[in-house]
Amino acid sequence: MTLIPEFQAQRVFVEPWTTELGSHGLMALVTFLVGATCGLIGNFLILRRMALVGDAISHSVLPGIAVAFLITGSRGVGAMVLGAVVAAWVTHGLIEVISRHSRLKQDAAIGIAFSTLFALGVVLIAVFADKVDLDQDCVLNGELPMIPLEPAVRWGGWVLGPPPVLRLGVILMASIALVAAFYKELMLSSFDPGLARCLGVRVGMIHHGLMFWLSLTVVASFEAVGAILVIALLILPGATASLLTDRMWPRLVWSTVHAALSAVSGMHLAVALDCSPAGATVVAGAGWFVMAWLFSPTEGMIPRRWRRRSAAIDSRPRSSEFGQNA
Amino acid sequence: MWMGQRKRCVIRRTGRGLALLLAAWAVVVGVGGSRGLAAPITVCATTGMVADLARGVGGAEVQVDGLMGPGVDPHLYKATASDLIRLQRAEVILYSGLHLEGKLQETFQRLSRSGRRVRAVTEGLPADRLIRTGSEGVVDPHVWFDVALWSRCADGVCAEFAAARPEAADGFRQRARVVKQELQALDRWVRDRVATVPPARRILVTSHDAFGYFGKAYGFQVVALQGISTVTEAGLADMTQLTDFIRLKGVPAVFVESSVSHASLERIRRDAGVKLGGELFSDALGTPGQRHDGYDLGTYQGMIRQNIDRIVEGLK
Repeated sequence: MTLIPEFQAQRVFVEPWTTELGSHGLMALVTFLVGATCGLIGNFLILRRMALVGDAISHSVLPGIAVAFLITGSRGVGAMVLGAVVAAWVTHGLIEVISRHSRLKQDAAIGIAFSTLFALGVVLIAVFADKVDLDQDCVLNGELPMIPLEPAVRWGGWVLGPPPVLRLGVILMASIALVAAFYKELMLSSFDPGLARCLGVRVGMIHHGLMFWLSLTVVASFEAVGAILVIALLILPGATASLLTDRMWPRLVWSTVHAALSAVSGMHLAVALDCSPAGATVVAGAGWFVMAWLFSPTEGMIPRRWRRRSAAIDSRPRSSEFGQNA
Repeated sequence: MWMGQRKRCVIRRTGRGLALLLAAWAVVVGVGGSRGLAAPITVCATTGMVADLARGVGGAEVQVDGLMGPGVDPHLYKATASDLIRLQRAEVILYSGLHLEGKLQETFQRLSRSGRRVRAVTEGLPADRLIRTGSEGVVDPHVWFDVALWSRCADGVCAEFAAARPEAADGFRQRARVVKQELQALDRWVRDRVATVPPARRILVTSHDAFGYFGKAYGFQVVALQGISTVTEAGLADMTQLTDFIRLKGVPAVFVESSVSHASLERIRRDAGVKLGGELFSDALGTPGQRHDGYDLGTYQGMIRQNIDRIVEGLK
């Protein structure tokens, strides 16, 4: 047995788009839907220095699902998702209270809020539900490869696709609509809250609204594809886009492009190595980020070094000329 | 005129392309293919225990694919790209059930409602033989450690296979009977072996709560350091209490599990001054063909025999 399966171009590059369209192709579509949604929101989170809030929520949902289980006595998806959304919302509230009423900055507040809530969840489970297998990995977080397996929804004579795909599609559409509707307010309050306040934008409302939508989106995505993919896709598309352009509108477009590239290349990587598709997608997404970091025309390391060197070459003859004259 | 024609042509071509794409989508998203009658039933089984049961009942008429490999903890299992294909293509999917597979179980239940042949092998076990843990509806999933109870799961597997291939039903029923006889013989063997341990010493100390059924069936008191969930760690009070308990009862040995960290139990073992009875299999089988003391650890029977030998030798 070899660790890495033999590379077969037909199986890796052709079959996902032909015979395996309903499994591997669908997987790439799901990843793209999640990546595009998270990338859209992630752009604003990065501007607000809250990129890690997704990671924080992935941990702080634990007390939410513990309390939801203690109240309803079931580990069904409905109760778990509701508990998780409430917990995510509480996380946001806690971060706000700590960062507003103390000297601590946002990052420290995030750290305190999520670790406290996670610990609270562990204590709740140890005290009240020790005999129950209860943690986010077994009751909340879904798995990307299981989505194409779900029975498809039929409407009339049409096969629409598995329910999670439709849900994620609706969430993406709603996210685009919300960002389009509040684009000006989001931009202003992300870049310059003071100016925004002067111009009459309700900065607090916008922030709470963004965080509420984030809680909803992130928990729904956890439920569909699992935590690691969501955490990574909240950061990587936005971070990559920020290396490619300084303007907000193109950034949103670039982050969507990054989500699409990561989804497709991640799926091919997962098929080639026969590994977890979520892991492969994050690796691929990080690869595209590194490409942007190295080669971006404005911010890339290599174009910058090239420019600096050509600037140095340009300036050398002049100084030697000067030397000769002296 | 000419422009109009070209436009219409383009529209027709796009329309045809779209229809083709939709047709492909419908075919591919729809049900996995059904095979000819002579071909073996393709079966996808989650854990090694379930796969072993399916092989026993199905014989040569089924081809069983195990999803979770040797040593994989079902709680930590992550599906790969090819697992998805195997699950989509399988004619019959068998899983352990009682929430052992976590969230995967809900997907399986939806698949079953949509008309695929998907079955929890523990379905239909008598409710009074299952161990309830605390609140309503929550059941300990580690049924396979009660060998007699596990043998009853063969009926469900047989019914599922018979429904998939009615013409081969007699063969499945015959083999299910053989499997049940074998497992009942194994159950008697376990009882004989366990009888050699003095009753006062029938205390099994392990790292997490997987041996409830073993204890109930064969008269052992089972004490686990950790609860069933693996996020909560053992508290200090738990550790001290367990150490005192071991000293008080004179338990000669404690046992670690292949899938749970050994550190805390090792510490307790040292504090209490007892020996380590060895590693027990809990949620997965060993590698197929891996032999130890003449047992094939890749099979259910070999796994049970190895566990019982270790427990009996440790406590005798």
